[in-house]
Amino acid sequence: MPESTHPEAGSTWLKNLKEQGVRSVWFLAASFATLTVFFILLFLLHDALPLFATVSPLEFLTGGTWNPTGAVPSYGIWPLLVGTLLVTLGAMVIAVPLGIGSAVCLAELAPPRVKAVAKPAIELLAGIPSVVYGFFGLIILTDWLRVAFDVPSGESWLAGSILLGVMALPTIISVSEDALNSVPGSYREGSLALGATRWQTISRVLVPSALSGITAAVILGMGRAIGETMAVIMVTGNAAIIPDPITNLLSPIRTLTGTLGIEMGEVAVGSTHYHALFGVAVVLLLITLGVNLAALWIMTRIQAGYGTEEQGRQRLRVPGLQGKGKLITFLVLALLVLLLLPLPAAAALLGLGAGAVLIHRRLSRANMQHLAFALLWAALGVVLAVLAVILGYIVVNGLPAITWEFLTQPPRDLGRAGGIFPAIVGTLYLVGGAILFALPIGIGAAVYLSEYTRGGRVTAAIRTGIDLLNGTPSIVFGLFGFTFLVIFLNFGVSLIAGMITLGLMILPTIIRTTEEALKSVPDSVREGSLALGATRWQTIHRVVLPPAVPGILTGTILSIGRAAGETAPILFTAAVFSTRFLPDSLGDPVMALPYHLFILATTVPGAKEQQYGTALVLLVLVVGIYAVAIALRHHSQKKIHW
Amino acid sequence: MKNTQTTVLAGGVLALLVGATLFTGCMDTGDGPTQPPEAQQSISVTGSTTVLPVAQLTADLFMDTHPKTEVRVSGGGSSVGIQAVGSGTAEIGMASRDLKSSEKTRFPDLVRHVVALDGIALIVHPSNTVGALTTAEVKAIYKGETTNWKEVGGPDETIVVVGRDSASGTREFFHDLVMEKEDFVATQLEKNSNGAIQQTVAQTPGAIGYVGLGYLDDSVKAVNIEVSGTQIEPSVATVTSGQYPIARSLTMFTNGEPTGLVQEYLDFILSPDGQMIVEEEGFVPVQ
Repeated sequence: MPESTHPEAGSTWLKNLKEQGVRSVWFLAASFATLTVFFILLFLLHDALPLFATVSPLEFLTGGTWNPTGAVPSYGIWPLLVGTLLVTLGAMVIAVPLGIGSAVCLAELAPPRVKAVAKPAIELLAGIPSVVYGFFGLIILTDWLRVAFDVPSGESWLAGSILLGVMALPTIISVSEDALNSVPGSYREGSLALGATRWQTISRVLVPSALSGITAAVILGMGRAIGETMAVIMVTGNAAIIPDPITNLLSPIRTLTGTLGIEMGEVAVGSTHYHALFGVAVVLLLITLGVNLAALWIMTRIQAGYGTEEQGRQRLRVPGLQGKGKLITFLVLALLVLLLLPLPAAAALLGLGAGAVLIHRRLSRANMQHLAFALLWAALGVVLAVLAVILGYIVVNGLPAITWEFLTQPPRDLGRAGGIFPAIVGTLYLVGGAILFALPIGIGAAVYLSEYTRGGRVTAAIRTGIDLLNGTPSIVFGLFGFTFLVIFLNFGVSLIAGMITLGLMILPTIIRTTEEALKSVPDSVREGSLALGATRWQTIHRVVLPPAVPGILTGTILSIGRAAGETAPILFTAAVFSTRFLPDSLGDPVMALPYHLFILATTVPGAKEQQYGTALVLLVLVVGIYAVAIALRHHSQKKIHW
Repeated sequence: MKNTQTTVLAGGVLALLVGATLFTGCMDTGDGPTQPPEAQQSISVTGSTTVLPVAQLTADLFMDTHPKTEVRVSGGGSSVGIQAVGSGTAEIGMASRDLKSSEKTRFPDLVRHVVALDGIALIVHPSNTVGALTTAEVKAIYKGETTNWKEVGGPDETIVVVGRDSASGTREFFHDLVMEKEDFVATQLEKNSNGAIQQTVAQTPGAIGYVGLGYLDDSVKAVNIEVSGTQIEPSVATVTSGQYPIARSLTMFTNGEPTGLVQEYLDFILSPDGQMIVEEEGFVPVQ
């Protein structure tokens, strides 16, 4: 890890000291993310521990009843754990085939013109704030499910899974597509030259070669699903029960995140219930840490085994899913189907599967390809249709609410009249503050990781910390902000508490994108600068950083989009329902668009039009920010040639 | 260098973005000096979402008559309110429940001000033919003993039980008074606000829920409560007269006796103008 500074450049003692100083500052910045993860965990644990004076850890984890305010309070989170697991599983069943199908379609089939439209569109899907998804789910999806399945209520496991599946799609699609694109072109050409059809090439060569990336994509998508709060609160019904039978998709369900989201605000600080909620947060954090560590482990293993572009040449003996692997996959799938669906449906589906296998055997290679391509196109079509429906619905219903007054006035009559101006400004403040907080630390960390170190244990720990911070659910940030900033540091519900909480949340995104941008600067440029006698720091800030600015900017803008749309982190730290004036100090609370929408949708009767209007403004804001990022990336990709 | 232009452009945009957020901040603080240096310009009111409508609307009117003052109202829940006022981050904490013993010991100086009464109405889908229930029937439904509307004289339809989350003051009150501290059925759908309950009941034919009187409108139907043979409609009049059995008081807490703007605001809520708003929002005046 220690990297020798140039002896010629650092001839004076002072220069050396400065170099060392700069290096130490960036090292501190890089360590910040890892320290934050530990600090969050410790702080949550600190608030959770008093619980175990009354409830044993085993009872807490395996108890079948969550009823903290019952005559005899019970704090068993088993149903919440099961709920989280089932919702996530359901989301993956929906998102994995659709996501991988769309990714393959985008990477291999779609002509450039389709790709130019579909890819940004899918990235926009990621930009839709979760509270907008939840709002859509509450009003449309649950009602549709109730009618379609003729059940008393549509608020269910299925509703949660569908919503989370859609929310996990953009991650799965873009990461998988990147993985497919990084498969060397020679693989494809070789396979085609040997006489394989395009479909055979895709299914036997390209997809297996990109398997590490695709696995990572699925696990990252899963992380997003486990950690999601607002959408889940609004559609799953939040009954703390285990579905009976366990395959009952239409049973209401409650997740760990949902429990935190709905109970945290009303609980008496310092009560057993309060400590139990922190216990829930610790469990949630540990689960997401586990999932993310698993993802990292799988990725490094697969990368070591298969290699990436450079080492990939030896690996044309595709290990693939042939023989035993195929059988195991089939058995797992069959088991999943049997577990998830009621018996008749499962039988039907398995029959269909068997039929498909039979057809597969009979079908000619050309027809097989037609069928497969049709399915791939269908997957992409479904994803784009979902996007169109959600966007269309909100735009159509929101437009009538958009007036000059709505955009420039403070709310009156509980938001049923007047406008949302303070919420728009509040959101900008929060986001601006978060960026100001996270950008210097993030860039510093990225500079350290990309320029000062090449490996080693400490660096590995730092990287892991950043990945773990990235996978931390937003509601956990919210809880941490509440207990540490609002209560422990006594900031109160304030702008500054919200800015720091959001800043911590977006830090990993900034670090990662900045590091990518720095990496894309060729080493020859650095070597040239150093050879001319520049110090390391001079090289970095005069030569390496300037061309990386567009990349850093893209990351920053993506973070802005994420921060602007998040509700859970500001729920307990910064947001208020209404202010007439804009905040005039960092200690003041603010209005924010996602929170305003959440309150209008759940607390204020008779504000239908304003709900849609707020959703539309929030959507336009976030999507607009994303669009700028996408355009900028496109622009810089075209411009820079080394 | 070909990319200098891009760099400058991109750097400019970044500077603009950061600068814009900074600058708006500066402009805003720039407003400060124009305000006369009075004692207290703004107070913060936070807590129970049930009390929120009254607080917000009275605050609006109060600010109209007291320019240059600001009353910030936020939700979050009774506990947030009590915590905030107790620790000094807000001047007034709204609560729809009494202080818990742990809160009394932590914040011994809190003073309770009853600003309104609230009847808790049982609501069903407008298509539901059930017109009245006894509290015993309500309890049986929420305990999960009665699962179909036909058992209480309604249509043949499964009852969807909708209630508040386990940290809610409304739920606690309901739990004490109607459930007599017995447990709710585990399949109850739990919502974190009155509005969420109303929304779900309005779009679910088999649902039953409970909300404050302020949340009654055309989208849901309020069920009368039958007390020893007479049906009592949940309304301001029946709560005032004490006939309607499911009612509680809504409170605002201050840390010590209120002074200055806080006192003016509390006095305003209890004034005829303030209490008129209380009544307009469907709550019951206390004066």
